[in-house]
Amino acid sequence: MELFFKLAGMALFVLMLPIFYRLIAGPNAMDRILAVNVIGTKTTVLLVIIGMIFARVGMFVDFALAYALLNFIGSLAAARYYHQDRLRQERGAS
Amino acid sequence: MIILQITGAILVILGLVFFLGAAVGVVRFPDFYSRMHAAGKGDTLSTILMLLGIVCFLIADVPWAAVIHGDFSLLVEPILTSIKVLMIALLIMVTSPTSTHALMQAGYDSGIKPHLSEADDDSTPSDEETPTP
Amino acid sequence: MAPMKIVALITVIITGGLLLYATGDFPAWGDPLSPANNSALSRHYIEQSRVETAVPNLVTAVLADYRGYDTMFETVVVFVAGLAILAVLGQGTSRERAAIQRSAERYQERDMINIMTARLIVPVLQLFSLYVLAHGHYSPGGGFQGGVMFGASFILIALAGGLPEALSRLSIPGALLLAGLGVLLYGGTGLVCMMLGQNFLDYHILHRLLPATDAVMARYHAMLIVEIGVAFTVTAIMFIIYAALSSRGRMTGGL
Repeated sequence: MELFFKLAGMALFVLMLPIFYRLIAGPNAMDRILAVNVIGTKTTVLLVIIGMIFARVGMFVDFALAYALLNFIGSLAAARYYHQDRLRQERGAS
Repeated sequence: MIILQITGAILVILGLVFFLGAAVGVVRFPDFYSRMHAAGKGDTLSTILMLLGIVCFLIADVPWAAVIHGDFSLLVEPILTSIKVLMIALLIMVTSPTSTHALMQAGYDSGIKPHLSEADDDSTPSDEETPTP
Repeated sequence: MAPMKIVALITVIITGGLLLYATGDFPAWGDPLSPANNSALSRHYIEQSRVETAVPNLVTAVLADYRGYDTMFETVVVFVAGLAILAVLGQGTSRERAAIQRSAERYQERDMINIMTARLIVPVLQLFSLYVLAHGHYSPGGGFQGGVMFGASFILIALAGGLPEALSRLSIPGALLLAGLGVLLYGGTGLVCMMLGQNFLDYHILHRLLPATDAVMARYHAMLIVEIGVAFTVTAIMFIIYAALSSRGRMTGGL
């Protein structure tokens, strides 16, 4: 079972690499925020899988819960920032 | 208990398959909105599936033979952990669509044009957008 | 790519490579022969902290008890950072604030979906942060982590409902009061120890004040008091930093 979770964690990490490509190459900032959001959500799962590998899920699940909540706040803040940035430019132009 | 383990393995692999779809979509879709669509849906579903699979493994790990003989204290830790993992799944189910929505609105308000069709390319060019090959 | 970016990229790759290379020399996880376990001090912590403080989590025992000075001044550093940000950015003039308020009302229509999700998430976040704070004796966590998450709940309110909404729940003077109270709680615990005739932050004498405890459990409970003080300061300063930086010090508008 430990082997299964090691393989699952590795597969998850390999599947994150295309998202990393979008993070680096993404044509504008919103694409990059999107990629960071996806990677953050997957990191939550990866933390729980690491907990399964070390047989200490009770400890790692707290990290995962905190990470999920803070990741949501982070992406919401980034979205609001770009929203606001645009409005500020309009206000300056008009 | 082997049934629960098989179910868990199937759920985790299913989650990986959906995440593969999301990853391919994020790389290959032509514009921001369709990438957002792939990322938002595939990411949420695969996260929930994988966490449910992990819950199956956690419940299968309980030493049920001892529990049936009356040692219920062994149940406390796995049940608590399972509830926390389910809690994460629930939170992801609520927060991931919301952040997708907020990003979508920010993208729309900051003037990213959708890539409508090949014929429309000349009339409504998407600014800074290059379709990935 | 600009040349500066290439230079930065090369620096980052080299640094990351060196760090990854260095992880190969770490001792295995939980290795009893690792060098960190061999000094007399760490042997004392590992063998005696459970006996002396009754706290199962070694990290919390070292952080809040054996190295109490260190943690106290870390809290003071957080407090001073918040004060400095307020002092540098200022509060803006009232006319400026009124003008920004008007334009903010015009431009900032609030999104109902964000507000509803925040209403769902904020109680969970605050309850979980209290759990992290109180459970620091048994699992990773404690004052700093719990305080950061509690402060993040106020930041979430500000992101979803606007900065005035969050300021109506925790105003800037209130937050400053909370931050000062946290530092006072920490330093006051140490001073009470001094008044009872022990060294500063030597908690075991507190069993004379706390009911139904002996010298060991007094250290256990005093650590919780100190962690609560840290959590107060970190919560308030997190929110102050967000409010000041997101609104350019004018405490209105914001994200």
